[in-house]
Amino acid sequence: MLIYDIRFLFIYMFFVGNLIFVSKNKHLLVVLLSLEFIVLSIFFFFLVLLMFIDYDMYMLMVFLVFSVCEGSLGLSILVSMIRSHGNDYFQSFSML
Amino acid sequence: MNNNSNKMFFLFILFFSTLISISSNSWFGCWIGLEINLLSFIPLISNSKNLLSVETSLKYFLTQSLASINFLFMILIKFSLLKNFNMNNIISIMMNSSLLMKMGSAPFHFWFPNIVEGLSWMNNFMLMTWQKISPMILLSYYFNKNFLIFMIIMNLIIGSLGGLNQTSLRKLLAFSSINNLGWMIFSIMISENLWLFYFLIYSMMIFMMISLFFLMNMYFMNQLFINNMNFFIKLNLLINFLSLGGLPPFMGFMPKWIIINFLLINKFYFLTFIFMMTSLIIIYYYIRIIYSSFMFNYFKMKWVNLLMKNNMSLINLSSFISISSMILSTFIFM
Repeated sequence: MLIYDIRFLFIYMFFVGNLIFVSKNKHLLVVLLSLEFIVLSIFFFFLVLLMFIDYDMYMLMVFLVFSVCEGSLGLSILVSMIRSHGNDYFQSFSML
Repeated sequence: MNNNSNKMFFLFILFFSTLISISSNSWFGCWIGLEINLLSFIPLISNSKNLLSVETSLKYFLTQSLASINFLFMILIKFSLLKNFNMNNIISIMMNSSLLMKMGSAPFHFWFPNIVEGLSWMNNFMLMTWQKISPMILLSYYFNKNFLIFMIIMNLIIGSLGGLNQTSLRKLLAFSSINNLGWMIFSIMISENLWLFYFLIYSMMIFMMISLFFLMNMYFMNQLFINNMNFFIKLNLLINFLSLGGLPPFMGFMPKWIIINFLLINKFYFLTFIFMMTSLIIIYYYIRIIYSSFMFNYFKMKWVNLLMKNNMSLINLSSFISISSMILSTFIFM
């Protein structure tokens, strides 16, 4: 993919992360990992954007704090699910 | 762990997160508010001991986190391409899509009836009313008119046709909520004041319905006509359902009337047709419920006339408000 612009890398990473999120997986952990991958791509994008504002990277740190909170919330829900269902397979969901 | 002080803490943060989101002066602050909203709502709903609540909170977390992270990515693309002032482009479509997914609007609505089915009535009330405030106000800041009109049409049709085959009261109210979302999104495009008016009346009506179902502990439609309710409770059910559907002497007609007025003055004839026809379908299945509730099991004792079994004062007050408020509201502006 010979595209000479860095923005396409971010869009590609974001798109691949979304693709794995919506794909049919066996484990829930894969979905949470794809969420973290999207967060990583946004981190990179944010870094490159904020480099043009003379090293004011504070928003990046705030973004990182909130993304980590969200990731840990996902993991806690994973733990809660394992405590009640026994594993994190998607097939152990009942029909809601 | 049914701890009320936990719930108060997270409820306070939930209210605060909406205020952060709608009063921030940058899109990043809006995203932060949406994240705090998710962080504080999940402990509220995963707070019981059955399997279903874990699954519900998982589904809610997955959809909402995906939507908010997409929203942030679109904010960054908008920031990098410097598209701050023209609203009818593809970036506004993407941002609106992620906000619509947060709200549970069609075509991103598939999680909504599932999750509503797994929550208790009070959590449903929070999900259906308060959680819609901040995505809607963010929608009003940067919307794409043509895209939103298409989404409104899909909302109305899916909300009306999806509720036809339901027997669970929660899913019924979920589809009715999706339909009312269509009206509310259109009222955002008219004026924010009108949206606020519609939203307040809608949340009042939903509160009356949900408090009725909560007090009677009813979750399914057969519970409406199998057990022997008092006549006034059935009458209140009738009034609230018809008010929710938007029938004229009741309170729920007033915001819809203003929206239809705007539609017809500005010659949106096809959209008016769709609004009307889908409202008709919704009133059909409300009346189907009430009809069986009234006619199927009518139990009246011979010697004691008025059998007041349940606590009636709130129910009577809510019926009175639903009937009379539209007429009384015309007296305010004299």
